[in-house]
Amino acid sequence: MKKTVMINLCLLLTLLFSVYGFAGGLDLFEGLSGTLRIAGGTAHIKCEMLAGKRIMRRFPGITIIIGGGGSGVGIKQLCEGLIDIGNTGRAPTAAEIERCNLNVYKFAVDGIAVIVNPQRKIQNISTAQLVNVFSGKTTNWKELGGPDATINVYTRDSESGTRKVFWKKGLKRAPITRRANFVKSNAAMKTAVAGDPLGIGYISLGVADSSVKPLAIDGIYPSIENVKTGKYKIARGLYMNTRGKPGGLARAFIDYMLSPEGQELVKGCGFLPVK
Amino acid sequence: MMDCRRKAQISRAILVLSTVVTGSMALVIFLFLFRFSLPLFSSGSLGKFLSKNWDPDAGAFGVYPMIAGSACIASLAMVLAAPLGVALAVFMELYAGSRFSRFLRYFVELMSGIPTVVYGFSALFILVPLVRNTFRYGSGFCVLSASLVLALLVIPTVSLITMDRIREVPRDFVLAAGSLGASRLETLLRVQLPYAWRGVISAVVLGGGRALGDTIIALMLAGNAVSVPSSLLDSARTLTAHIALVSAADYESLSFKAIFLCGLVLFLFSMFSIVFLRVVERLKE
Amino acid sequence: MNRVVVLTIKVLLWVTAVVVPCFVGMLLFFLLDKGLPVISLKLLFGDVAPVKALLLRERVFDGIFPAMAGTFLVVLLSVMWAIPMGVLSGIYVAEFAGGTVKKILDISFDVLASVPSIVIGLFGLTLAIFLHKNISHRIYPCLLISSAALAILILPYIVRTTELSIESVSLPLRLAGLSLGATKQRNLLSVILPRCSGGILSGVILATGRAAEDTAVIMLTGVVASAGIPHSLFSRFEALPFYIYYISSQYADQYELKKGFGAAIVLLIITGMLFGFAHLLKKLVARKINGFD
Repeated sequence: MKKTVMINLCLLLTLLFSVYGFAGGLDLFEGLSGTLRIAGGTAHIKCEMLAGKRIMRRFPGITIIIGGGGSGVGIKQLCEGLIDIGNTGRAPTAAEIERCNLNVYKFAVDGIAVIVNPQRKIQNISTAQLVNVFSGKTTNWKELGGPDATINVYTRDSESGTRKVFWKKGLKRAPITRRANFVKSNAAMKTAVAGDPLGIGYISLGVADSSVKPLAIDGIYPSIENVKTGKYKIARGLYMNTRGKPGGLARAFIDYMLSPEGQELVKGCGFLPVK
Repeated sequence: MMDCRRKAQISRAILVLSTVVTGSMALVIFLFLFRFSLPLFSSGSLGKFLSKNWDPDAGAFGVYPMIAGSACIASLAMVLAAPLGVALAVFMELYAGSRFSRFLRYFVELMSGIPTVVYGFSALFILVPLVRNTFRYGSGFCVLSASLVLALLVIPTVSLITMDRIREVPRDFVLAAGSLGASRLETLLRVQLPYAWRGVISAVVLGGGRALGDTIIALMLAGNAVSVPSSLLDSARTLTAHIALVSAADYESLSFKAIFLCGLVLFLFSMFSIVFLRVVERLKE
Repeated sequence: MNRVVVLTIKVLLWVTAVVVPCFVGMLLFFLLDKGLPVISLKLLFGDVAPVKALLLRERVFDGIFPAMAGTFLVVLLSVMWAIPMGVLSGIYVAEFAGGTVKKILDISFDVLASVPSIVIGLFGLTLAIFLHKNISHRIYPCLLISSAALAILILPYIVRTTELSIESVSLPLRLAGLSLGATKQRNLLSVILPRCSGGILSGVILATGRAAEDTAVIMLTGVVASAGIPHSLFSRFEALPFYIYYISSQYADQYELKKGFGAAIVLLIITGMLFGFAHLLKKLVARKINGFD
């Protein structure tokens, strides 16, 4: 008799524990329905899509729409009330926070890597070389120890948080050449450089994969460990922003991304979790 | 029961109403573009918006590079498409009735039905690397790649219109030329084509409008750099691609306002080309 | 003409006639080569059973079904806006408008037809922002706005074909009805319109194809890369042309790229069928008219 009670107690405890354990996870969305609109920074997209698919598979009443555009677009559309969460790959400025009454949630830390096509033999680039390449002073791979061929610079538009951070921390605010090709997102940057043997660009560490080759800058390789220890300097937080206090789906989504399950996802995407 | 006259009046009113709506649509679009570009004119800073620099971070909003990009890409496309399109029309007429000619006619009609995004997608993976590897300069995303594909887009317009107009040449002229000993080719080149010159111009202008107005091909293939291209292998951005790229920006920002100027330029161009065509069609022999 | 000149011209003509189809053929062949092996139910529905997906019982995340459904809905809606407006205007221009009014309307439709689609998209976007700010905060760039903008894009085509079809009805036929005492309206409804319904229909189908393939308009007015199947007019939506454009610039892996090729073929088949059908109809109509008159 006593034994059964013990077993029952144990069962109850595990049940309680598991409920507690889940409470930070998908159960956050229990009882919610409707559409959640997210847009802005493009480094976020892959990770948020993964989370979104998990949520939508379990809760058919919820639709999560994730768009890009760049960090600037995220903030602006948020201010206009066109979306519920605005992604940014940089911290929102004080002016932006005040103008739109932003609530800011940092959910991951990300590095920005300079990438080339895997066909290039180059492993390392100095900051001075980097500045020269991106400002259009160095135009031939020969000057970087490569073949005699033009360097094709790929860049992002002014809405991009990745561009802003890279420009500030990677290029030390040197101008980017006007002859650079433009791509619309981090994913598009990867596709472009992976397809162009003579290309060079910059990208979110979480988005880069084996189709492109990250370069060490001044001898320091852009890995998530080096970002963690602070050795690799071109890093930034990834933020989700809401106008005023988030409610309903937006609240649940942010809580989910910051929950242990969400942070595990963040890690799996190649970012540094914040918790 | 409504009597007949009443019914007729009502149906007439519906006809008039819908015609007023559809007929004024072009005007509405023009007024709206004008209204939103107006601040740029009135602030006396139009020069700033037509300057050579586009760098929103530095407060430069010049759309001149995009005007130049559009002009380069569309005119190169037409330099290719106009002779090819006319040649195709002449070929189809010259060998009219033959199997190959009929096949060609179907093929050109089929071409006009191929979605532009499909052209762009295919060219992205086959033409861009080809251009890059052939010329060993630049990324392959350039004026040339975009123009080549745009030419394909425009060729059906040019050749189908030209062919229709060649066929409209009075039979007597053709027969007279034949009886004077002219061969079929000579009749085509010396009688029919010159007679239908207005049609050829119409075809080329309409084709040019399509080339200038297309967004997706230049967006996918031209590279979208904001500088005036100095060679065919340079990356460039068209007005249409610029609108597509900037349209997500802050609606109050100067970037966003500048794209209405781009829209206005495109609109005015298409309007003038239509007016130009009307004038050409009215010219006497 | 000199024999050498003639020969040169002929050679040039032949080169053109062979090179242009070859170039297009190369692009299409490449597409088919890469895309045909991917065409399968999995491309459309991912891992979801097709029946469940079609009945909307289960959502499709990995297939292009939502994009196809989105394209279908946005095109259907835009045609629904454009047909009544376009056909009515076409009737007015052909039958009732006279002199100067007709000239002005003709120019207006020509200009509208030549406005680049991205400009119409910009118009739609601004309209959406205006409505959002001034009418209802529930209005965003969405299915409704996109379909309305697409309707503007195809309106001139529909007006023109209606107008031309009506004007091609021969005078004896018109007079026959009138001489039997029919009013102008009755004559229009019972004699003229039935005669040219085939021509109008083929124009409508061509316009449908035009709406289905356009990317620029929807890009600015509400299409997104992933939204599922829209459940209201105010939802954002997916569409095939945009999906193809999106994949082209940011595919995550080789499988996604292959899906892009598959989607391009599906779009090509859809528009190809629409164009083929319209041409067939045109031919039938032409034969009918020639046969009777």
